Amino acid sequence: MLDRRTLFGATAAVGSFVAGLFGSKSSSAKPAPMHAFDGDVEPRGTNQRLERLPKLDLESYDDMLTGLRIWSGREGNRPSMARFTRLLEDAGLDPNEAELEEIFPVVENDPLIGTVARLRTSGQQLMWTALQKHFHENADVYLAEMEATDSRGPGKLELNPDMNIPEYTTYEIHIQPGGYVGDAFAGHIYHYGTNNFYRAENYQDEIHRNMASQMPVPKDGKVLRILDMGCSVGQLSAALKERFPDAEVWGIDVGGPMVRYAHMRCVDLGIGANFRQALAEDTGFPDDHFDIVTSYILHHEVPADKTREIIEEAHRVLRPGGVYFPIDFETGAGRGRRRNAWAKFGGWRDHRWNEEVWRPDYSSVDFNGHMRKVGFEVEDQGPPAWRSPYNVLGTKKA
Amino acid sequence: MATSTLKTDRPTYASDFIPSDVERAVFLGNPVLDNMMTSLIALGAEVWSNRRRMKVLEALLADKGVTNEMIEQYMPTAEQEAEWQKDRDRFIDLTYSPLLREGDLPVSAAFTRDNK
Repeated sequence: MLDRRTLFGATAAVGSFVAGLFGSKSSSAKPAPMHAFDGDVEPRGTNQRLERLPKLDLESYDDMLTGLRIWSGREGNRPSMARFTRLLEDAGLDPNEAELEEIFPVVENDPLIGTVARLRTSGQQLMWTALQKHFHENADVYLAEMEATDSRGPGKLELNPDMNIPEYTTYEIHIQPGGYVGDAFAGHIYHYGTNNFYRAENYQDEIHRNMASQMPVPKDGKVLRILDMGCSVGQLSAALKERFPDAEVWGIDVGGPMVRYAHMRCVDLGIGANFRQALAEDTGFPDDHFDIVTSYILHHEVPADKTREIIEEAHRVLRPGGVYFPIDFETGAGRGRRRNAWAKFGGWRDHRWNEEVWRPDYSSVDFNGHMRKVGFEVEDQGPPAWRSPYNVLGTKKA
Repeated sequence: MATSTLKTDRPTYASDFIPSDVERAVFLGNPVLDNMMTSLIALGAEVWSNRRRMKVLEALLADKGVTNEMIEQYMPTAEQEAEWQKDRDRFIDLTYSPLLREGDLPVSAAFTRDNK
């Protein structure tokens, strides 16, 4: 267990030992440093803009499971796919055309395919569990830290404890315990857990900072207000505030613990992004308010009707000439891509066993078509974003 | 719906959630095999944690007056981390490569070699 004296004894001064403990990759913009504040809990200091995990053993546990995820992807996926293809061919099925109901009886329980899947799923479960256990065991200390920053600037935090949380948001997405809304430390767990997903390439928010650097702006160049929908722990919101320091940046998320953590982290970074607990389909902002509305991997986590409502809300809150840049798996080059049997099987496993509950729903939406329907001028192959050479871009007509 | 197991009087801003049934997933045809693999992975993470701690200790022991606080605060150099990660990857390879074995012969299987 951590005691308060231990926790408050060490500060970001330790961060001067920046030596790439996490093997961070270089990025074009210089990341913001962490700033210790009264009540800050950093028992092992910081590595640039990442608070080091609070215990050496927890950090090493994470290191191992991150290494295992990288290794199983590199060494396991190819033989697993080869085995899958061979099994289908032996069963007289076409690996390009076979459907899930034909695939399951042939590959289910195959030792190699099952092993590679187990490496990934169990590694993920163990990481979530280890993180949750630490934060729960030291709950008072970490809850007090968040209380110390809830009303602190430079940015604002708007929590809504009376909010009606829609059921569709309450699943344990990515099998994260409690999901985005059900654990007081959803933000802490998500931040460190997804560092494992990002395979050690996002410890310094490199991916989010890169997306912020690629963010398109309205043709008139005016950027006074930006909205990041479904912001989770606020990494993109923070990066946008760094790129557009004079703009008012808002990150919104349904998860109270998520925006609390996002706000606390921005306080720590000295970044003045604002956060609000709110739904992307019901942001509570006025009409014609924002110059840029964006989101990052939000849409595949919501049902089809909600994706449509979110597009409509983005259109409502954008000012004429403002731009909508929703970044997701299929808002770029992946949309409509024909999937072979291996991809269908992988998609099923992600949906069923990674708790990506709404991903098939999302794939069913005519995303760009709905953007046009609500009145956007749509560029199907807009600027690059994330893993795609292009991403859909909408501009609200004047 | 489920509720967080965290017991506290402080505000948490958490709500009820729908729990995943991933604990019931069987990927290997027998839940015992699935459970053994999960334990094996957890064991690997524990072993690696110990090894990594030892590396910190070894590095610190080169200096004088080693304290527990020093161990917790130690930040490896980029070169050290690169070296450690190489060792980690070797450890992973040795420990988990056997899991990728495509065993398909039952106890009763005849020899498959010509020179049996």
